[in-house]
Amino acid sequence: MGLGFAVGVLGVLILGHAAYSTIQYRGLLKIMEEEFSGPPMNVVLELLLAFLFCIWAALSVPGKFLPINPDSEENRIVSLPDNLDFMIFNHRAKVSLSEIGLKLKH
Amino acid sequence: MVSNTEEIQLNRLENQVDNGGGGAWDYLCLVRKLKVRRSEKVLKHGLSILNDPKKRSSLGPDEWTLYEQVAIAAMDCQCLDVAKDCIKVLQKRFPESKRVGRLEALLLEAKGFWEEAEKVYSSLLEDNPLDQVIHKRRVAMAKAQGNISGAIEWLNKYLEIFMADHDAWRELAETYVSLQMYKQAAFCYEELILSQPTVPLYHLAYADVLYTLGGLENLQTAKKYYASTIDLTGGKNTRALLGICLCSSAIAQLSKGRNKEDKENPELQSLAATALEKEYKQRAPTKLGLLISTLKSLKV
Repeated sequence: MGLGFAVGVLGVLILGHAAYSTIQYRGLLKIMEEEFSGPPMNVVLELLLAFLFCIWAALSVPGKFLPINPDSEENRIVSLPDNLDFMIFNHRAKVSLSEIGLKLKH
Repeated sequence: MVSNTEEIQLNRLENQVDNGGGGAWDYLCLVRKLKVRRSEKVLKHGLSILNDPKKRSSLGPDEWTLYEQVAIAAMDCQCLDVAKDCIKVLQKRFPESKRVGRLEALLLEAKGFWEEAEKVYSSLLEDNPLDQVIHKRRVAMAKAQGNISGAIEWLNKYLEIFMADHDAWRELAETYVSLQMYKQAAFCYEELILSQPTVPLYHLAYADVLYTLGGLENLQTAKKYYASTIDLTGGKNTRALLGICLCSSAIAQLSKGRNKEDKENPELQSLAATALEKEYKQRAPTKLGLLISTLKSLKV
């Protein structure tokens, strides 16, 4: 978590630096009066790196992935809830349970 | 619906609480969320929280929910004194509440005073004629008095108004099965599958009913629903696997003399048998011989 967050911050910083380099490069082009033919190598590299870092942070920081398939081991339904709205009380508890010691004390 | 992870978590928490490891409140919350009926444990652990003033006050407003939960659990365990005390506390806090009124009627039911309970319910219904819980209680009361046909009548009336209530459909289906009225039960399960198509246990129950009804067509449909259960549970449902084997052998017996234009897929049954053998080997090796001889007698 901490590592992923740090990588994310690093990615954003690199992205910022790439933006800054681009502005500088355009300024330089204006001074040298050359035509724009493509971004410089270091900006492209920085963008790629920042992209990878940000993706990694976005995947690892928010939490771990949960299965969504209904038939996966975690999600498969093993039993239905007991129908508590239709619960009835005259069953074997009347004779078998003798926990009379329980009491609400106030 | 109780999924596999939730069941494991519930059992783990129950074990922990039983052995004095704490987490009683979490356990009670989970029981409430999953709507399982473990009244004895709820009564024991809920009371231990309620009897401890420090723990009780730390719950805040959830305290009253716990009183209600413990009251119902106490009625289920026939500890009517505890239930009465809990309801008294709630009554003091919420004097005009319908929910507490319902609990009082529930207590009357638990004591077996049917007529008094019925009176309370009808007066509550006058205030709010669309209270689903009270309508359901009427059904349960008829059932508790052994008046199953009355319960079915009430349920049918209820379902005419609240058609989307799948709990009621399930109750009706189970009641019909208990009376061996399988055609009606099958209708209810169809309704359930329509409303919740991803719940494998409805497919399984429907298949069971169809298999019990018998006849070539029903058996073939039953086999399809067993197969869909397997699909939805990832092949972990033993009952569905056995159902496939039973259906296949019954179909083979019924269609013995006829020319088989619609030949059944023989792979399905052998696959089910293999899966069963694998599961038995893993979880109950001592019963493996029994399984193999049974499968052999079914000629799967």
